[in-house]
Amino acid sequence: MCNAFGVVVFSGNGVHVDGLENYRSIGAFSFLGRYRVIDFPISNLTNSGVDEIQLYVSKRPRSIIDHVGIGRQYNINSKRGKLSILFGNEDNSSNIYKHDIASFKFNRRAIESMTQKYVIVASNYMIYNIDYNQVVEEHIETKADITMVYKSVDTAKEEFINCDTLVLNKQKGVSEISLNRGNYKTRNISLESYVMSKEIFLALIDQAATTSSLYKMRDMLNDACSFLDVRGFQYKGYLTAINSFNNYYKANMDLLDPAERKKLFKKDWPIYTKTSDSAPTHYFEGGTATASLVSNGCKIEGRVENSVIGRGCTIKKGAVIKNSVILPGSIIGEDTYIESSVVDKKVEINKVKEVIGTPEQPAYVKRHDKI
Amino acid sequence: MRQNNMLAMILAGGRGSRLYELTSKVAKPAVYFGGKYRIIDFPLSNCANSGIDVVGVLTQYEPVLLNAYASAGHRWGLDTFDSGVYVLPPSEKEDSDLDVYRGTADAITQNIDFIDQYDPEYVLVLSGDHIYKMDYSKMLACHKEKGADATIAVLPVTMKEASRFGIMNTDEDNKIIEFEEKPEHPKSNLASMGIYIFDWKLLRKKLIEDDKNPESSHDFGKDIIPGLLAEHKRLYAYEFNGYWKDVGTIDSLWEANMDLLDKNEELDLNDPAWKIYTEEGVNLPQYISEEGVVEHSYINQGCSIEGNVKRSVLFHDVEIGKGAQINDAVILPGAEIGEGAIVNRCIIAENVKVDPYTVVGDPSSEEIELVSKRVRGNK
Repeated sequence: MCNAFGVVVFSGNGVHVDGLENYRSIGAFSFLGRYRVIDFPISNLTNSGVDEIQLYVSKRPRSIIDHVGIGRQYNINSKRGKLSILFGNEDNSSNIYKHDIASFKFNRRAIESMTQKYVIVASNYMIYNIDYNQVVEEHIETKADITMVYKSVDTAKEEFINCDTLVLNKQKGVSEISLNRGNYKTRNISLESYVMSKEIFLALIDQAATTSSLYKMRDMLNDACSFLDVRGFQYKGYLTAINSFNNYYKANMDLLDPAERKKLFKKDWPIYTKTSDSAPTHYFEGGTATASLVSNGCKIEGRVENSVIGRGCTIKKGAVIKNSVILPGSIIGEDTYIESSVVDKKVEINKVKEVIGTPEQPAYVKRHDKI
Repeated sequence: MRQNNMLAMILAGGRGSRLYELTSKVAKPAVYFGGKYRIIDFPLSNCANSGIDVVGVLTQYEPVLLNAYASAGHRWGLDTFDSGVYVLPPSEKEDSDLDVYRGTADAITQNIDFIDQYDPEYVLVLSGDHIYKMDYSKMLACHKEKGADATIAVLPVTMKEASRFGIMNTDEDNKIIEFEEKPEHPKSNLASMGIYIFDWKLLRKKLIEDDKNPESSHDFGKDIIPGLLAEHKRLYAYEFNGYWKDVGTIDSLWEANMDLLDKNEELDLNDPAWKIYTEEGVNLPQYISEEGVVEHSYINQGCSIEGNVKRSVLFHDVEIGKGAQINDAVILPGAEIGEGAIVNRCIIAENVKVDPYTVVGDPSSEEIELVSKRVRGNK
């Protein structure tokens, strides 16, 4: 257990996932059939013994509030712990003003009133499993002002495009936050997860607001590298960023591989999510599945191959699903062929008999669509 | 209590001795069913869905697991301000040193104080042993409409089966005129389901009388119901038409699980309007590997399947090794079936390991095998 509270913050304006994000924030995206992306950062915090968590929401919050609720599913102690959902101010003049610093400033009192010494910041669109006790311990040991979590990757030309990277000097000091444009193979990808004292966190919020009303947390932290002791904490586990439609598809598909799944899901590190009390999945006569992850509550009369099926989907007779991600509650009609596609929630596919994308350019079917 | 002035008491002391090792450590209501559930989830979910807020669960035989399980009322949504699930094992009282319930009626008698706390108008008495979905509020409406003193839920069975049940003989208005326990020559096919609604004041009085009667076996079917009929009280039958199973044997437990594979889904466990609630684990979705195939089965989350599974029910965290062949099996939570093992027509108990390349069960056998110990290979 660490002496810290958690702050989980919505993704910035630089991140956009076509299609899916028109309906909800990235944190509320269905992931791997039964999860939502937000389950990962919140479970990381509660598994680390962080019982008080502030969840900052922005555009289209309905989905995420509905999912997170009072946070009981995350194993938060109902007396000593709390999951608060915090909204930004109602400045509707332009979306550019709706950033994390504006939200923090608007909720400054809520932050001030926290009794823990440290704050752990996490973003809502990255998936990883980290024990924050280790980060906070190292933060205290090194007497750093700010500790930033990163992962060294040698695939930065293809992956984590547009993610923050940390420029480190020899002492693991962070000299700058830069952006991965895909020009170099090896980069230190920032998990956009930071540990600092509550005082420094508040000071950064205040200073950012007086510097520029468009300043975001990452801009302020980048400035802080020049006048504070900012260090990196190297994370070596599983990491993926849901910051584009292709990455969303790829992250789901990659986790069909048991070896990949083993890196993310550990026995002693449960990922909690909301229950829907659905029954086990029913495969009817002729209904089959292979090389797939299938959630509960489905009715399967067709064939599922190499796909991720969300909760409560219906796959009718003769339908074939291949290399696809089907979000919860969708109905795939008789004799429909679906390949390399993402089918959003509660879609009904009846009349159209083929939806085919490619692994490089998966097809997308809109939420609640009837086709 | 606010919702309908009725409190429910679930008799959950059943041993289920014909379930052998499945009930050697737990009472029958705690036995697993349907890939995900325990039997007692059915009456508890029925209560929650029928708007009953206060449920007493009367445990006796091997109560430890069941007590812990049933007391977590939030699983069934029975945890609002004035609702709850209360586990009531037999307890020592000032005026007696009884530490068992002497019969189904005695279980209620010993908890009169508990019921009085809530001052209900009606008390619903249920068994914790049966699998069915039933709206008790409709039964209560019928009880009120008839102005009954007691209402008993009945299930139409075949005349052949009728000799195995307590049979209600009724008039054309469903008023019970006679009750016969396991009659040799049944006059009707309406079998008592062991579900009763009583006016609490009347039942309370009868229970106290029965408690003092040294001849009585303190049983609802044997003593209380015949007693009320003898006094010409207004007893009515409430006919239930739907799926109902008493899974008292290995064969019937297996069969009830297999019923879930049927296309017509008489017992639809996924009806959003009548969900069955249960303990929810932290599991991944079920995984079927490239070599694995699942067909015509009922599979819970958390399973990992690398073999072939056909016409089977798999509970959470079951692992099926590469090339294993599973047919017509019910596999309880956490069981591991090794590579190349062949499993036919059986129930595999919780956490049992079946070693690679072993053979379990017989596809041509009449009876269903219960596998409750590790199955070792030849090495």
